Amino acid sequence: MSFEACPECDLLLNQTQAAPGDKAHCPRCGYLLQRPHKHSIERTFALSIAGLILIAPANLLPMLRVKILGNIQEGTLWTGVGTLLKEDMWAVAMLVLLSSVILPFVNMLLAFLLSVHLFYQRSNSHMIPWMRWYQHLYEWAMIEVYALGIIVACVKLSDMADIKFGFGLYAFIGLLIVNAMLANEFDSYTFWRRITELAEK
Amino acid sequence: MKRLSTALTHGFIRCHECGQLIKTKEECICPVCKGHVSKRRNKNLHLTAALVISSLSLYIPANIFPIMAVTELGSTEQHTIAGGIIALIRQDMIPIAMLVLVASILVPLLKLMGLTLLMLCVHYRWQVNAKLFTRLYRIIAFVGRWSMLDIFMISILTGLVDIGGVAKVIAGPAATAFAAVVVLTMFAAKSFDPRLIWDHQLNHD
Repeated sequence: MSFEACPECDLLLNQTQAAPGDKAHCPRCGYLLQRPHKHSIERTFALSIAGLILIAPANLLPMLRVKILGNIQEGTLWTGVGTLLKEDMWAVAMLVLLSSVILPFVNMLLAFLLSVHLFYQRSNSHMIPWMRWYQHLYEWAMIEVYALGIIVACVKLSDMADIKFGFGLYAFIGLLIVNAMLANEFDSYTFWRRITELAEK
Repeated sequence: MKRLSTALTHGFIRCHECGQLIKTKEECICPVCKGHVSKRRNKNLHLTAALVISSLSLYIPANIFPIMAVTELGSTEQHTIAGGIIALIRQDMIPIAMLVLVASILVPLLKLMGLTLLMLCVHYRWQVNAKLFTRLYRIIAFVGRWSMLDIFMISILTGLVDIGGVAKVIAGPAATAFAAVVVLTMFAAKSFDPRLIWDHQLNHD
């Protein structure tokens, strides 16, 4: 019999495998131990490709176009970072750049690399570091918070400017949905198990 | 009375990275993921306490100094975090104002208070409802990132409203302080190990 432990209350448990669609909670503290999905790897593979495609237009195309007293200005994800840098707010600029552009991309890339290797059953010595990086960087990619920021910014601007939405925003919303679905499908328990099985072969 | 049973009392340590259970009593290297395996993360709470104190002291300048300056037709107005919320209320945008109030004032403050409570509970070995305290930890760890809302909003506004002397939004000194508060509290939440709450609870059955 092999054992496992709850990561939040350290209760010693008999190792079980929950059926796809079921949830396994820790009986003592209620921590969600496992939530296996059918085809978790295949879906992560598909969603990460969709995400990597959507990242390009979401970053490059203008998201918002504002008209203030006859002057028109367009903004992409990068515009704010550039202006903050010009104002010597480099720390804030770096934080925004990391959490809205770089880390969402890195995370999507890691999910893609992991799922493509597991899908084709290719072993790679970098998979364990990739998995660790994915778990650590996960909470620092904040595109859903950025989306809320866009809403608040639009409300603030509504009485001084005319706002039009660009294609970049639609791509960004698409990326947001793909990212949320990916987070839901990515099952670290299954991924870790499959990675160790692959490495032992 | 006996301590609550944990994997550690049975002679197992769970790897922080990959979840592998290792039969050991000493710190070691995980055989699966080659990560460093220790009994508990930051057992003495020094790191968590340092991060909480730093973010608490940055929370003050973040709220006193202007977080952005709005110039419209030559007249400049400085906004603090609270000022921005009041401006939204004047615009009759109550739900959005509440959202910003929760994300940028209440969440960081309640997070710091919650983490302090958790640290006191571990340090003084309080007998508490550990399940409730673990839930508190989970909420703290989950909501932290949403405080970035204000920083993103300022970044969007400074990028979009930049027309010479006619209309301009500039980020203020509080923006850096506030960003630091958010980042430090996120690190503080991550450095706290909820298993420490369970370690000294006595078994009442």
